[in-house]
Amino acid sequence: MTFLAPAAAVLAVTLPAIAALYFLRIRRPTRVVPALHLWPSQIRDRQANVPWQRLRASWLLLLQLLVAAFLVAAAVQPALSATESFAPHSIVLLDASASMQAHDVQPSRLDEAKRQVGALIDQLSPQDTMTLIAVESTPRIVAPTTSDHDALHRGLSSIVATNGPADLSAALTLAAGIVRSAEYARAYLYSDGIVEPLLASFADGVPFPIEYHRIGVSGENIGLTSLVVRPSAQSRAAYLHIQNFGQQSHSTSLEWRSDQGLIDVRSITLAGGQAQDLVLPVPAAATTVTARIAAGDIFSLDDSVTAIARVPRAFHVLLVTPGNLFLEQALRLRGDFQLDVIAPAAYRGASAYAMAVFDRFSPPVLPDAPFVMIDPPAGSPLGGGSAVGIGRVRASDAGDPLLANVSLQDVHVARSQDLNATTFGRPLITSLQTPLLLVRDEPFRQVLVGFDIHESDFPLRIGFPILVQNLSEWMLPSSVPSSSFHPDEQVTIVPESGATSLTVVRPDGSRRSLATGSIATFGDTDLMGVYTVEQVVSGQVDRSWFAVNLFSDTTSQVKPVDRLTLPPTQNVVGMQSSRPGQIVIWPWIALLALAIVIAEWLAFHRGL
Amino acid sequence: MADSPLLEPELLRRLEALALLVRRAVKGQMGGERRSMRRGRSPEFADFRNYTPGDDYRLIDWNAYARLDRFMLRLFVAEEELPLNIFVDLSGSMDWGSPNKAVSARRLAGAIAYVALAALDRVRLTVFADGPASGGAPHRGRRAVHELFARLQSFPVGGPTDYAKLVWPIARQQPGMTVLITDGLGESPIEPAINALQQARQEGAILQILAPQEINIDWTGDARLKDAETGVEREFTSTPATQNAYRTALARHTEEIERLARRRGMRFARLTSDQPIDDMVQRTLRRMGLLG
Repeated sequence: MTFLAPAAAVLAVTLPAIAALYFLRIRRPTRVVPALHLWPSQIRDRQANVPWQRLRASWLLLLQLLVAAFLVAAAVQPALSATESFAPHSIVLLDASASMQAHDVQPSRLDEAKRQVGALIDQLSPQDTMTLIAVESTPRIVAPTTSDHDALHRGLSSIVATNGPADLSAALTLAAGIVRSAEYARAYLYSDGIVEPLLASFADGVPFPIEYHRIGVSGENIGLTSLVVRPSAQSRAAYLHIQNFGQQSHSTSLEWRSDQGLIDVRSITLAGGQAQDLVLPVPAAATTVTARIAAGDIFSLDDSVTAIARVPRAFHVLLVTPGNLFLEQALRLRGDFQLDVIAPAAYRGASAYAMAVFDRFSPPVLPDAPFVMIDPPAGSPLGGGSAVGIGRVRASDAGDPLLANVSLQDVHVARSQDLNATTFGRPLITSLQTPLLLVRDEPFRQVLVGFDIHESDFPLRIGFPILVQNLSEWMLPSSVPSSSFHPDEQVTIVPESGATSLTVVRPDGSRRSLATGSIATFGDTDLMGVYTVEQVVSGQVDRSWFAVNLFSDTTSQVKPVDRLTLPPTQNVVGMQSSRPGQIVIWPWIALLALAIVIAEWLAFHRGL
Repeated sequence: MADSPLLEPELLRRLEALALLVRRAVKGQMGGERRSMRRGRSPEFADFRNYTPGDDYRLIDWNAYARLDRFMLRLFVAEEELPLNIFVDLSGSMDWGSPNKAVSARRLAGAIAYVALAALDRVRLTVFADGPASGGAPHRGRRAVHELFARLQSFPVGGPTDYAKLVWPIARQQPGMTVLITDGLGESPIEPAINALQQARQEGAILQILAPQEINIDWTGDARLKDAETGVEREFTSTPATQNAYRTALARHTEEIERLARRRGMRFARLTSDQPIDDMVQRTLRRMGLLG
């Protein structure tokens, strides 16, 4: 045992002082009374102001001495040596992702992790500091660097499980940012190891060692990992994927229902690791369909999935072109597009269309709506400089989602307008000579292409329709997304033309209002279930829906990872500077003193 | 104390209108104004009886002889003096309170004695503390008033109360009336004295005098209490709770004295020292039937 404030032992002089007060006698004035035998023999020692009397046995004296002794003991702050050794700065990374809701350890993995972190906080000595980070889809610091146990416990108790993934890379980046140079820190990761893959940049390591504490013991889980509604040959059907992620065979019942009622219940038996795809009927009038299994396993987030069964709302799209078969065919691939193709001479305006594509034509007034401008004529508002020959075509950012599955490997462009001077937006496809394709988000998502696609072999590549699909979905997302969203994933919502209000109703009934002036991004998708988008257009409420489901094989594979691959430690100095933690016990001693004070109060009032 | 008169002349004049009320006939040594249990000379007819030799023939009722042809004697109630004993407690506990209990006791004893002396009764005054101190020879007649008052005022106050030492002085009294003026607060029990009064065929009256300050404690806090009679000291803290405990003990004590007195057919009254002497006499003593 060590004492954190040994100087406070001088307060022990209060003990003899209290005893001395009991040696003193109360100065009482003498009063003559006629019959002393009638007076009760009741006295109280309120004060002492004359010397001395023989010390009498008194419960009050004993209790007061005990209280003083305990308070002195608390003041010197005794601390017991903890089993854990701490660096001067400890960083606790607590996984609060969806998989931590598994209850293979009671009451849940997150609660078990919080219990272990709580015990770690209790052992932190007052000289050391700790930072508490919740590892979620967007990691956050729940307790800034401090040695205050109460603040750390408050931060710890504020952590709740999320339905999203655990972005360990972002959490480590955050942790590295709060470690000062030349400071020895150590990180503790409390997780089941089910985290998003680390970025390659962490191969160089992090400036602190990481201690991985595995939480969880089992991986027995049956999950629904996909549900998609697609039209089949005769009618619409739902395609459901169910998988046993555990090693043991399990039987469960599958309940299939729409928003109009129960459709089917069937039993399913899956061997360990087995998966099964089911085709399920979708009623014509259904808005949503839901599959639910009564698995009774350790993880319930993937036991229920929902899909939107409504037919997507059609968008009117205008293509103004002297003639472009490639572009026309690529746009018609969108099933929810009603495409009108007109010649430039027939153009009267685009206000009736959700999106317009101008091919080698520029309208006098650019529409306030999403549009694609391809090879605008010289002198037009978006027209570029003189044509330049183009060499190799490449992506400005290979990781841009708009270029997902688009290969520019064999794409060639003969010539293009010089767009170096334009301020339209950011380049998506570029070359050494000039940007070739630019995109911008404000006020609406719009695209500017600097070359005539007929002067390129791009339309002949598979990447062309994919790029058109990506750009059109970016500019004009489907009113009913073909796939579900993941928790915490951002959803792009395009307001209807003339919409006066835009509201998203979450599965719990809470409402979020969004701006109607431009494409809105909705990020409060932490809850799983059906979200309703309500738009008021001309006094009429127009509703559309999207669903948020877990749909993550990685998360449903809830078996905790025994050996998690973690970044190496950079040259850390002063490993020897670790010191044992300390468990402070003075609050308990002070609590005991308080209890004795209460007992002393009771004893005083009972005349002991 | 002796310089100031014990009772004011105006008060004495009012006391002359009062008389001691005796429940039964008395037997005194000298004639007085009291009905005697012996038949004697007085205007008040009592009874007839047959004449026997030796009787005073002057008492033969000749009219009855004429009607009945036999000698009948007329009997009259004899009027004799009342032997009144006044015991006054002048122990240390009586020298307490404001007004002082001993002063009030002296004045009360003087008032009762004056009423008796005015009626030609025989008054024996005895003060006591740890033992009786005789007030001298019995007093009789108005002429003895000043002497009795002077003696009453001359006795010092102090010492413990010992009621047991009153037993013999009481027992040797001839039957009559005894008034015991005391605060009843001595440590020794009062019961032997009350028993002695009964055995001595005394028509007893217990007058308990208390000071207002000992009925209601007018102070709080810590104090060292000193017994006025024994000098014994004890520490005490006056709080509402302890004051209540004291009042309960005092009430129980005085109720016990009253119970003892009444069980033996004696009269009892509780007075406070702040009562005016007129109020004591005209109200309390008349209400209890001692004076009328």
